[in-house]
Amino acid sequence: MAGGNDTLSTRLSPFQKIYLLLVAGFIVGPFLPVIIQSLAFRWAWPELLPGTWWLEQRERSMLPLAWDYVLSPYSRVWEATVNTVFIGLVVTAICLAICLPVARLLARESFAGKSAFEFFLSLPLIVPEAAIGIALLMIFIRLGLAGSYAGIIIAHLIPTIPYMVRMLTAVYQGLGRDFEEQAMILGARPLQILWRVTLPMLLPGVVAGALFTFLVSTNIFLLTFFLGQGQVITLPTLLFSKISGGNLDTTAAGITLIVTLPGIILLIISERFIKEEAFGKGFGS
Amino acid sequence: MTARERRTRILQMLQLIPILSVLVILFGGALVMALLQSLGFAPWFGINTFPDFSYFGSLWGSQTFWVSLWLTLYYATVSTLLALVFGTMLALALIKAFPGKWLYKYLYKLPLMIPYTVGIALAVIMLSSGGVLSRIVAFAGLIDDPGQFPQILKTHYGWGIIAVYVWKQTPFITLAVYAVLLGIGRETEEAAAILGARRGAIFFRVTLPQILPGIVSSTLICFAFNVGAFEAPFILGGGFPDTLPVVAWRYFNDADYTLQLQGMATVVSIGIVAGVILFAYLWVYRRYERRMGRH
Repeated sequence: MAGGNDTLSTRLSPFQKIYLLLVAGFIVGPFLPVIIQSLAFRWAWPELLPGTWWLEQRERSMLPLAWDYVLSPYSRVWEATVNTVFIGLVVTAICLAICLPVARLLARESFAGKSAFEFFLSLPLIVPEAAIGIALLMIFIRLGLAGSYAGIIIAHLIPTIPYMVRMLTAVYQGLGRDFEEQAMILGARPLQILWRVTLPMLLPGVVAGALFTFLVSTNIFLLTFFLGQGQVITLPTLLFSKISGGNLDTTAAGITLIVTLPGIILLIISERFIKEEAFGKGFGS
Repeated sequence: MTARERRTRILQMLQLIPILSVLVILFGGALVMALLQSLGFAPWFGINTFPDFSYFGSLWGSQTFWVSLWLTLYYATVSTLLALVFGTMLALALIKAFPGKWLYKYLYKLPLMIPYTVGIALAVIMLSSGGVLSRIVAFAGLIDDPGQFPQILKTHYGWGIIAVYVWKQTPFITLAVYAVLLGIGRETEEAAAILGARRGAIFFRVTLPQILPGIVSSTLICFAFNVGAFEAPFILGGGFPDTLPVVAWRYFNDADYTLQLQGMATVVSIGIVAGVILFAYLWVYRRYERRMGRH
């Protein structure tokens, strides 16, 4: 078609090219000064680059310079990392175990009150987190769960369940039950069917759901901060305590980068091993 | 129903128990307890005046509550709308083929993968009066003291808060819209183009109605999150009067523990406001769907 329509062209318009560059600058640009700050010894206003780099003052490191401090036990970075990963793994395992049967039921059976049940399941996504956090804290203090790992893990289940159920339901819907029926006809026991037929076929979706749940859990700040009562620190709450004063010194810059690291690793894993559509399935209405 | 069918049915229902106990007891229980306490039920403090609307009365009667509510809704709405526009534009660009597209698929999802606190740290280093932006302005010779740089953070305009939300949520909306765009394919757009529709018409009358479900569900989640968010307004906000979650937190941590009930009234108010707005939003959307002949 002469003078073809722009929307339908499979190529970017000039405006879109500029827009993509701006987006890239907006998203990753701010990390550059953070990296510089973490390597600076002295970076006074209005210098665009530090006047003195950390390396130049290496032998004078009586002061806790950014990375010396970040990597030392005093910064509690290691403790926070272990806590974050531990809580994330346990939350993912529990969430997977309790959501699989529900997803199976939602994908395959129809029962009275199903749509109401589905709505109820997605409710935690639309009830403000602060409301849940403070209300839960009241209950947890009474139960002695405030400031404990168990309390935080239970609380993390609330915002992760909706995503997990949605993603697993989508996977079950795509699976069909023919293969399971064939295995049953051939005489497989229910556990055998689960282990050798259902799970291998579900695996890609289960991995996507598990990664997403782990991700959501490791990023939760409010529930951990409110319910952890300062006794259990994770990477997001550690960073919060460093920047709550409203400025970013060299150690805070170092910790910012450390807190970003798990996200980058998860991003690479999820992009390499999960198909694009799998994450999207969590969002269909 | 045979006995066998009934048995599988019961077995299925048993499998729902764990998820229901988490959601009903913890989530539902927390909300019910919050409501009871905001109405004066707190026997463990020796307070039991249930039902007592004075906590809501004194909360809603104070002018600062309404300022806090306005600030909360203002930050939440502006950032959700900005993220919606930026995210949809990004999804429309990403659907096309271009060199370096693989890199973009990593890049745009980065904020999705990391905590809000990182976004706040980025806002601090970029936007504070001694930050990078202020240095660039100084480099251009426009100011010669960090005090002359217009204050962006810690004001009630909330630029910093909005910047963090938009930075974090644009990828979220992009992901949702992009997934829907992949699903619908390009046939309907092509048909519209062949029939002579212009670019704007194709977007608003063909593409937009089809991506609307993804837009509605993702903006609902973003808006609800923004209303209940704590860390960004706490660090980057303009101080008193704070947004409602921060107000609730301050009441809750006050040495005077009777203020905890006031805090609970604040929490319930957040829930009511968010609930009313989200239901109105869904109701309008449902009506639209029905008019379009869907559902």
